[in-house]
Amino acid sequence: MIRIGNVLVSPGEGGVYGERMLEGYRVWDPYRSKFAAYYLLGGELELTPGMRVLYLGAANGTTVSHVADYVETIYAVEFAPRPMQDLLEVARRRKKIVPIMADANQPYGYAPFMEAVDLVYQDVAQPNQVEIAEKNLVFLKPGGYLVLMLKTRSVDVRRDPADVVAEAREGLSQHLDVVDLRWLEPYHHDHAAIVCTRRG
Amino acid sequence: MLQRYWFGDVDEQGCRSAGTDPAALAKRAATLRTGMESYVPIEWEIARDCGVVQDREGYIDLLRAVCTTLAREKIAVAYQGRDVELLQMVRMLDELDNVINLLSERAAEWYQVTNPAFSRKYRYLPAKKMPGIIRKGARGGLSDIADEIDRLAGVRSRLMREVSARAGGVMPNVSALIGGLVAARLLSRAGGLSALARMPGSTIQVLGSEQALFSHLRGGTPPPKHGIIFQHRRVHNAPREVRGRVARVLAAKLAIAARLDYYRGVLAPEFLDDAQKRIDEAGVVA
Repeated sequence: MIRIGNVLVSPGEGGVYGERMLEGYRVWDPYRSKFAAYYLLGGELELTPGMRVLYLGAANGTTVSHVADYVETIYAVEFAPRPMQDLLEVARRRKKIVPIMADANQPYGYAPFMEAVDLVYQDVAQPNQVEIAEKNLVFLKPGGYLVLMLKTRSVDVRRDPADVVAEAREGLSQHLDVVDLRWLEPYHHDHAAIVCTRRG
Repeated sequence: MLQRYWFGDVDEQGCRSAGTDPAALAKRAATLRTGMESYVPIEWEIARDCGVVQDREGYIDLLRAVCTTLAREKIAVAYQGRDVELLQMVRMLDELDNVINLLSERAAEWYQVTNPAFSRKYRYLPAKKMPGIIRKGARGGLSDIADEIDRLAGVRSRLMREVSARAGGVMPNVSALIGGLVAARLLSRAGGLSALARMPGSTIQVLGSEQALFSHLRGGTPPPKHGIIFQHRRVHNAPREVRGRVARVLAAKLAIAARLDYYRGVLAPEFLDDAQKRIDEAGVVA
């Protein structure tokens, strides 16, 4: 990952969402992007130029645009029409992004477009986030990574976030090896990044 | 095993391309039904060997074109629902209310400073009437602002009538039970007619009182009796001791009405007569 001093940046054409530029690089803001927060808090998963990524919950394409700056191809799945409009515009200017309008809960909706990927990144506000991740493992190469940005409040607002994370971790360990777990404080409250690898 | 991919069908015998026209490919892709048990992810080289594309760049380009076409179609379909625009209209209406209130309050404060003898005490002077007084009494910037507030108020009432009329068309049964405006607010809070139709009555009952509901669930405080539906006269005019019951019965009937609206879309008089009677009964103090 490219850093200038303490600032995380990505190489690419700027002006996607009014992000600041620094020495010709796009500043990747940890307050706007959970993935950036993960890196600034010491996350070690490197994005490399050969990587193929499945990004679930692409939203407006803000984080997607930064990830696309680093990798070879990114399949960006988003379900809601309003953010999809923005995502299409981002994808029009970034040839690495394949924008897919589909429900991450129903992988058969986008399976005919998918190749095997090195990284599945998931950031969806759904109660069954672990289940969704498991359904999408079919696209993940053995040895590949899953990054689950667990939104504990979407799982259950009433429960203690620490419990929710512990349960998610247990669920994921059935099929995956959890290699890293990181709370995203102070950038994002009640969110945890869980990084796993697929056995293989 | 046969695999049906976006660029064609692949099995042990080889690959049958579905052409290279993005529009045609998108049309075909929309009809694909994939069984996940035997599914294998694509190896893009197959598409090359199949003659669909020359290289990886060409593969991604064509795939992007197909997916973008599909997404645009899906967005268009999502916006076709008749409730989509109504949703924006209600939200604009509520926003207008906010803005008008803020501006009137501020204008009244300003006016009081310019007119030391003025007071709202002992006069029936709701905020609504203030712009008129200010317009007569003030000059310059303040009077311009009073004009604007007045115009905004006109915009607001026209929009309100439009919302009411539109709600009557989009959800005839819900509107018949609680009026177009409150119906539209419920719709806005639920996020759409399909969402509202899937809600249980108990959820509809407390839509709009989320703060009270969650503070109740966290423990301690009493549960809310009503949310948005309080705005309907049958709820807020009901005697205190039966208000909760009226809200509950009304909400239960609204849940049914929303389903009728979503799946049938036309007025159901026999249901409405029955529901009205039931709601009226709930309002009777024993």
